[in-house]
Amino acid sequence: MLRTVIDKEVRDIVTSTKFAVAFGVCALLIIAAFYIGATHFKVSQEQYEASKAVNLRQMEGVTDWMQIQQHRIFLPPKPLAALVSGVSNDIGRTVEIVGHREITARDSKFNEEPIFAVFRLLDLEFIFQVVLSLFAILLGYDAISGEKEKGTLRLSLANALPRSTYILGKFIGSFAALSVALLVAIAIGCLLLPTLSISLTGEEWGRLGLIILVGLLYFGVFLGASVFVSSLTHRSSNSFLLLLVMWIMTVMVIPRASVLLAGRAVDVPSVDEIDAEKATLASQLWEEFRADLSGFKPSSNSQADIEKTMDEFNKYMDSLTTLRNEKIAAVTDRLNESRRNAQVSQQRLAFDLARLSPATSLTLATGTLAGTSLDLKGHFLEEALAYREGYYDFMEEKTGVNMRGGGMFMRMSHGEEEPDPINPRELPDFRYQPATLAASVESAVVDMGILALFNLLFFAGAVMAFLKYDAR
Amino acid sequence: MNEQPTRETTLRLEAVNLTKRYEDGVLALDHINFAVQSGELFVMLGGNGAGKTTAINLFLNFLEPTEGEARINGIASHREPLKAKQHVAFVSENVMLYGNFTAIQNLDFFARIGGKTDFRRNDYRDVLLRVGLPEDVHDKRLKSFSKGMRQKCGIAIAILKDASAILLDEPTAGLDPKAGHEFVRLLDSLRSEGKAVFMSTHDIFRAREIADTFAILDRGRIIMQEPASNLAGKDLETLYIQYMAGHNNSSVAAAGGIHA
Ligand SMILES: Nc1ncnc2c1ncn2[C@@H]1O[C@H](COP(=O)(O)OP(=O)(O)OP(=O)(O)O)[C@@H](O)[C@H]1O
Ligand SMILES: [Mg+2]
Repeated sequence: MLRTVIDKEVRDIVTSTKFAVAFGVCALLIIAAFYIGATHFKVSQEQYEASKAVNLRQMEGVTDWMQIQQHRIFLPPKPLAALVSGVSNDIGRTVEIVGHREITARDSKFNEEPIFAVFRLLDLEFIFQVVLSLFAILLGYDAISGEKEKGTLRLSLANALPRSTYILGKFIGSFAALSVALLVAIAIGCLLLPTLSISLTGEEWGRLGLIILVGLLYFGVFLGASVFVSSLTHRSSNSFLLLLVMWIMTVMVIPRASVLLAGRAVDVPSVDEIDAEKATLASQLWEEFRADLSGFKPSSNSQADIEKTMDEFNKYMDSLTTLRNEKIAAVTDRLNESRRNAQVSQQRLAFDLARLSPATSLTLATGTLAGTSLDLKGHFLEEALAYREGYYDFMEEKTGVNMRGGGMFMRMSHGEEEPDPINPRELPDFRYQPATLAASVESAVVDMGILALFNLLFFAGAVMAFLKYDAR
Repeated sequence: MNEQPTRETTLRLEAVNLTKRYEDGVLALDHINFAVQSGELFVMLGGNGAGKTTAINLFLNFLEPTEGEARINGIASHREPLKAKQHVAFVSENVMLYGNFTAIQNLDFFARIGGKTDFRRNDYRDVLLRVGLPEDVHDKRLKSFSKGMRQKCGIAIAILKDASAILLDEPTAGLDPKAGHEFVRLLDSLRSEGKAVFMSTHDIFRAREIADTFAILDRGRIIMQEPASNLAGKDLETLYIQYMAGHNNSSVAAAGGIHA
């Protein structure tokens, strides 16, 4: 009995014009996303190699490691990031290593090519989020109400067919038919990667597989919601309208509204505010410093000890400076820390609110799995900091100078003979280590769970509604 | 003749004090009683809103009775719906079926959920021919079918289920005169196969040709119920048309009285 219902459902869907059109568009977009992602990746790859080469070239001819003015490292492009771009186009991809200032990333893709910021890129995550959900609604909105309108529901239930079997068959049949169709489109997209000479590592394939799984879970949520709503309504036009409203709320409104709400609820001081506070503090400390300076008491007042007095004064001033710097550093740290904390709690609140919408879970989970979530920037900067430590070690070994303290270093060149130029290739290579698969899965699992829960919820809701459905 | 056991085994459809009051207070059926035996064709006449479809919905457990019960083969529909529904086939008023499926595919699906899994293409062809659908449309999609052709498919589906009772809700509504005539012959053959047939209709002329028992339903009450033999030569048409036109209790009750 169940098999018969499943069978019928699959054939009913697959033979409909609606399916042909919707699937055609969907498949085309999915394949396009793979193609665009692949070409985008190749361009980024070339740019990356070129940037690295330029960085080394500007060091050519330098004869002393101390003379290196600039050394940059770059976030390498990843093929998965081209499929699920996340924040990868928004964050800076370049970090300047020389010097001891706070490390910052610059030159984001959108910064360099603002046109992309306006239109965003057509990536797989976008297709999943917008197109897949519409696809599910379009094919599921009349699951029950449509059968009622055709009179087939009455006719079917006039038999010894349990309602639970009927609705289960509907679910399995429609999900199987549609997800197989989607998987075919995705498989074609995947096959496109090697033909465009993009090779994924085994781990990356695993990640892609999980991203697709998340996509299917998300699809299931909307399909489940469609069957649920269609078993609450008696006219498929009503069911479609309701689902459309729901779609607008979940895909368009809730994620954005949550960010706005969280922004209102948790106040994060802006960088400008913090800078202003720092400046105020600095000038205040400067006044104190000047006042303290006048409090200098030389140990003897004799003219003969002028050198000694100068020395004492210098020491006194140094200690005051150190004290002042320590104070500034402490306050700066505290300000940055509280800003970071506020940011984190704002973000958490925004995410938690936004998770009311499965679209959020899709974005977060796929971003995490592709390594392009909001953590990417922090992770990149951490890696860059770690690299800079290695760079300092390298420089110390080469020059004997520890550059961690900062400041200017001058070295007189003595000896007449021309020194040999340095070999920039000796510089340590920056190897970006993305989060491990296990770590990514661990942080994606919450959102995968949420999506699974939504599936379950809508399924249970649909079954319950259908058992009481007025089939007349 | 030992009548009691025979009645037990051949009573297919029974309404016992069957009452339905809708949530909004409309009393659609008011303690109606009737029974249809194996090999009997029972026609329920009644105007729009009389309660015919409500009665059928109670047999199919699409509605819960407010009082009384509808029984199929002695099984109360609202108590054991799945068991009861094994024994009944149903032809609804206006069935669309699956537009993307061919006639044969539609038949195949409904036969299977009716519990008949071993039909072959030949069986489907035979039954479609029997209801008057020529072979060249058997593999056409239902969405190209006319209303009457779909109705014939619906009847074919009911025949395939081969249940001991058949419920038909205004089955002749979409049929042209020729098809209507063929349909009457079809019902006749089903009856001779021993099926208990319950048919609701407005169409007294067609009913007259074939019914074993007539009942007239008016605002939820059976105001007349007679075997056809009792009405032989009597003016059922006039009676019913009077009833339909006047829709007036006293006159119908009086008319019913004449034949009682
Ligand atoms: N869901 C409902 N809720 C409330 N009242 C209803 C409902 N369905 C039917 N009725 C009422 O019950 C009565 C009987 O309706 P029913 O559909 O059984 O009539 P019918 O004899 O089949 O009429 P027709 O010949 O028009 O098909 C009508 O008065 C109708 O308004
Ligand atoms: Mg009716």
